[in-house]
Amino acid sequence: METTRFNKITSLWIITVLVLFVVAITLGIIMRLNQSELITVSPITFYTDMTVHGLTMIGIWFVAGMAAVNFIMERYVKTSHGVNVFAYVMTVVGVLLLWASTFFGRFHAGWTFLYPLPFKVMWKSWATPTFYFSLAVLGVGWLVWCLSLVSSLLKKYSLKEVFAWQHFSKNPKTETPPFVLIAMISLVGIITCLLAAVILLVLTFAEYYSKGSFVNDALLMKNLTYFFGHTIANEMLYLGLAILYELFSEISGRPKWKTTWYVALAWNFTLIFILTAFFHHLYMDFVQPEGFQIIGQIASYSASLPAAGVTVFSVIVAVYRTKINWSLANLLFFLGVTGWVIGGIGAVIDATISNNFILHNTLWVPAHFHTYNALGNVLFSLAFFQWFSAKYGGGSQRWSKVVLWLLLIGGIGFLTAFYIGGADSIPRRYSSYPEVFATAKTLAAFGALFATVYLSGVLVFFVNISKRCLKILLQRS
Amino acid sequence: MFKNFVAAFIILIPAIILRADRQNMPNLREESNIYQKVYDAPLRLIDGEQARLHQMAGKKPLVLVLLFTRCTGVCYPYLGQLKKQFEQIRQVENEPFQVLAVSFDPRDTQEDMQAMAGAFSLQSDSLWQFAVTDSIEALTKSLGFTALWNEELQQFEHDAILIGLNQQAYITRKLIGFRSNAEIGQLLSSIHNVFSPTFRLPNPNMRFACFDYDPATGRNKPGIGLVIIALPAVLTLLLLFAIWLRTRNKSSNSFR
Repeated sequence: METTRFNKITSLWIITVLVLFVVAITLGIIMRLNQSELITVSPITFYTDMTVHGLTMIGIWFVAGMAAVNFIMERYVKTSHGVNVFAYVMTVVGVLLLWASTFFGRFHAGWTFLYPLPFKVMWKSWATPTFYFSLAVLGVGWLVWCLSLVSSLLKKYSLKEVFAWQHFSKNPKTETPPFVLIAMISLVGIITCLLAAVILLVLTFAEYYSKGSFVNDALLMKNLTYFFGHTIANEMLYLGLAILYELFSEISGRPKWKTTWYVALAWNFTLIFILTAFFHHLYMDFVQPEGFQIIGQIASYSASLPAAGVTVFSVIVAVYRTKINWSLANLLFFLGVTGWVIGGIGAVIDATISNNFILHNTLWVPAHFHTYNALGNVLFSLAFFQWFSAKYGGGSQRWSKVVLWLLLIGGIGFLTAFYIGGADSIPRRYSSYPEVFATAKTLAAFGALFATVYLSGVLVFFVNISKRCLKILLQRS
Repeated sequence: MFKNFVAAFIILIPAIILRADRQNMPNLREESNIYQKVYDAPLRLIDGEQARLHQMAGKKPLVLVLLFTRCTGVCYPYLGQLKKQFEQIRQVENEPFQVLAVSFDPRDTQEDMQAMAGAFSLQSDSLWQFAVTDSIEALTKSLGFTALWNEELQQFEHDAILIGLNQQAYITRKLIGFRSNAEIGQLLSSIHNVFSPTFRLPNPNMRFACFDYDPATGRNKPGIGLVIIALPAVLTLLLLFAIWLRTRNKSSNSFR
């Protein structure tokens, strides 16, 4: 009975995420087509699309990771179905408010909504508070969900166990499953960045309602914005990794991965470093203390190494010269790790202060974060969707090779256009390019074409998965 | 319970938003209308020529000064101060620019402005131009500049303001009040599309600044804002500890 309820809500999450994913990719393609001048949309429509595209992508892959983690966590501890449903309702309400503020209110300050831009009203005056309320609704739903899962873990595991600290001693008496460790590390990071968002929203509303008697410090607001934005973008990837640690060996027919001292150490370090890596978003801010900039670079290097090193090592060891039952699910996991590493290298290059002065406002930035999302984190979640729907919805694996090739060819082509543009110093966030950027329009057309190929792969995948998920959803308890 | 909570939330949100809609936005005067295109006002210059504002900016980037000739307040001292400052600045500034003084008083004529220029011997200075316009309202609106008429004093209440316009006639920077040569230099950089760091003005209503400026020493001291950046991590630790304590107390009912 309980399992069926979790299957249903997980199916609902999957269908919702995939529907929103198709919408968000379409908006991305419209933006690239406009930049290529193959179609024309107004600058306001472009920036509205950019705002919705960015926030939707961050939101859906965060909730996809959370839904998957919640589902797998049921193997270890009892979680709250009610809170899961609550998070779903809040997410839907939040998305509707976001769409109202952007599509109808024409709010277009970008997904980073950097202070004080949202206060410079260039849209319907109600759109600014509606946008912030959409974030508040999403934040409340997600924070309650995270706290509920942490509470569930701590009911079974002590603080020492849940962070796997016993593995630092010889012959630990108990073992913390890697999934539990990584889920806990990720959830703590997410709670921290959501609390940063809470403070950010409180300060924003305080200024908004104070009629000028309360004014915020732009430097503080930018720090809090990226504390939230950068951290959640990273943590959602770690949620995907928690699923990978649990399912990759299982799907591949290999022994289950275990937590060792170096796995525990790597993930504990990751938690510390990831919470300070966001400072690299403020390299251009001349008023930021220099010490923070240095912490930003060191933390960016350090955050990527332990988790990536240990995970890549584990995956290579698992597949090297061993018989693997390859399927769409574990191939997506495997390719996701590759995309994550490539995007991570791009990110580390950009997080180096001397490089950032050249790359910061170029297409290099969307290049690297689209790599570890479109060909990294997204593939982790699609792998889970595939595994879940096949296991509980039945049916044969059809079109797997087609899906895989479309995602790969589309993804690589679309990202190549971004990387070449970045290396050619083509600026990001331009709705249309001046003539001085000779290759920009061609690259944008190239990017739109391959993004359409990627979208085709997602659509084929969506049709297959949604049939199974609908079947699960409509099953009688 | 969750259903009730969600329903209450959904009902409350529109009410709060509607209330928010009625609130005034904070007044960021030096930041208003930045990177917006100025109105292409027709100008009558004191040398008898006619020109349009975009045309003048297209020839040389402009520093716009807004004033009126019947002013008994800030306009004349401000103009005198600007004359001195621009005499110093033009010695070191290599890029071309022009200072354009425009009246926002509909009573002012070309002759009035000529007299004002003459009072400071600026009428034949190539750096300076003086003009009147018939499109005062459209121009001041596009600049985000407000002058309030005081019936009792028969005077306009207004800011002493410098506005930078680049060659594409975009507003690049504003300076309100008497400002240093260094700040005017930054305004000149902005009209030549050169990056120049900008700071928001010190605001007594700013509560949680990352740095507090101490006028006595001229230095910045770390402020409460820097502590707030660390607050999410501290709150998370406290929350974790609280949840752990709560669950430990219920450990007898745990899974084990």
